[in-house]
Amino acid sequence: MLMEVKNQFKISFLSVKYALMREMLNKTTFITNVLFMILNNASFIVQWIVLFSLKDNVGGYTFDQVMLLWGISAGTYGVSHFFFSNSYHLSELINNGKLDSFLVQPKNVLLSVITTDVTTSALGDIIYGYLMVLIFGLTPLNLLLFTVFSILGGITLTCISIILNSLSFWFSKTDVIADTGNNMMTNFANYPDGIFKGGIKLMFFTILPVAFVNHIPVQLLTKFNLGLFLIVVLVTIIFIILAFTIFYKGLKRYSSSNLMVARI
Amino acid sequence: MRKYLFIFKSEVMSNLQYVFNIITSFIGYFLILFVLLNLWKYMYSDPSQVINGYTMNQMVWYVVVTEILWGSLGGRSLSKKICSDVRSGNIAYNMNKPYSYIGYCLSSHLGSLAIRFILYTVLGMLVGFMFLGSFPTLNILSVLCILITGILATIISTLLITSIGLLSFFIEDAHPFYWLYSKVILVLGTIFPIEYFPKVIQPILNYSPVYVVSYGPAKLFVDFNYNSFISIILAQIIYIFIAYTICNFMYKKGVKNLNVNGG
Repeated sequence: MLMEVKNQFKISFLSVKYALMREMLNKTTFITNVLFMILNNASFIVQWIVLFSLKDNVGGYTFDQVMLLWGISAGTYGVSHFFFSNSYHLSELINNGKLDSFLVQPKNVLLSVITTDVTTSALGDIIYGYLMVLIFGLTPLNLLLFTVFSILGGITLTCISIILNSLSFWFSKTDVIADTGNNMMTNFANYPDGIFKGGIKLMFFTILPVAFVNHIPVQLLTKFNLGLFLIVVLVTIIFIILAFTIFYKGLKRYSSSNLMVARI
Repeated sequence: MRKYLFIFKSEVMSNLQYVFNIITSFIGYFLILFVLLNLWKYMYSDPSQVINGYTMNQMVWYVVVTEILWGSLGGRSLSKKICSDVRSGNIAYNMNKPYSYIGYCLSSHLGSLAIRFILYTVLGMLVGFMFLGSFPTLNILSVLCILITGILATIISTLLITSIGLLSFFIEDAHPFYWLYSKVILVLGTIFPIEYFPKVIQPILNYSPVYVVSYGPAKLFVDFNYNSFISIILAQIIYIFIAYTICNFMYKKGVKNLNVNGG
């Protein structure tokens, strides 16, 4: 069992590695993608400088905490879009019958599908996340926690995308729902939870778990609390179980389109 | 001119088939608006407070208008389309047609965003009204003036994004330049009016694309006067000329470098 898991991780890692090597064939494009994504994220610092010139704290966050929040959201987004990029295109693969080539492989179908491609610019997001921790909250513990939260949050974001995209097994045109859900996670992640009120805040702890992916990790980077940390881990595990269950339940309904494709 | 009108019309007709898709894409626009409206409600602890010359209502309407302009633009798809036309060699099919590629991009993109522009305007106004319960005081003539500046802003944005896409002639993937452009417009012109920035930067912003593509029309909507209208529209006409010249120059220079293999 352990050997099987180890082999699966090895395969997934190799899959990401070769996809990255493919992207690096054109070095100029690769470097511009990464660098410009860092600049793209950094441009929002101006927004927060302006906002903090009007108020000392925004939604209960200091400037440094907002920067850490951006770091965490860039890190989680980066991990999800770099390592599991295809989880955001699952709906298209299901609708067009493009899962066939993955079904015949003697490895885990879901992991094979989602790790088969990388988004180069997401590397820029990961680097930006680390830069934010280095500048606004550098301690050895924070660096370690940031890495852990980026991985956990990235996995949770991926699971949400898998769940939403898997709706395509049952209904048509669900790609809009998936895109909207993923956009909601990204949009709410970049703002302090204190500016929202009522039902929206409740959503952050339930159907849109932004609190566990972004807001609580920032709190933990400022002041560590083992109980809250374990809750974040638990939520990630729950989402992993949900994503696998829903995907494999849906996969039973999948029918091939006999589409001939070449995977290069 | 007739051929460009025909391209525009064909795109409008084709997009009419996908009104449902446009309405669902409004959900994404609504979300961004919702976040920003919450942010400004939080920033103004008292609705009658005036920050940098703007009341909370003016600030919310400013954001609604700039987001309508930006959300309906679909700049990302335009930049991606031109990049992929150049990279894949598809541009070769446009080169031997009896129209200018820039004119084709402009008319086809304006056609594809026309329905979205109308829908986003109506829905955006409804969202603003639901949030605030009132509209700024405007007469029909001023609404018409704002609409003209809004349309010109969209034309300028389309030309500027086309010029970014045409960078693909020189570097393989110009799309990252679009990210940067979009963030400059978003941070310096969509979320805040120019008055929110330090006085030293304000004159620079007044000459930048931010003034003509987002600040101008939104400022007129929240605080209309004819003097501002004239200076905004003059700046927009100058910008259209500059942006079109840049596009043409880049296209002509780029086509000379183009190599298309096979068919």
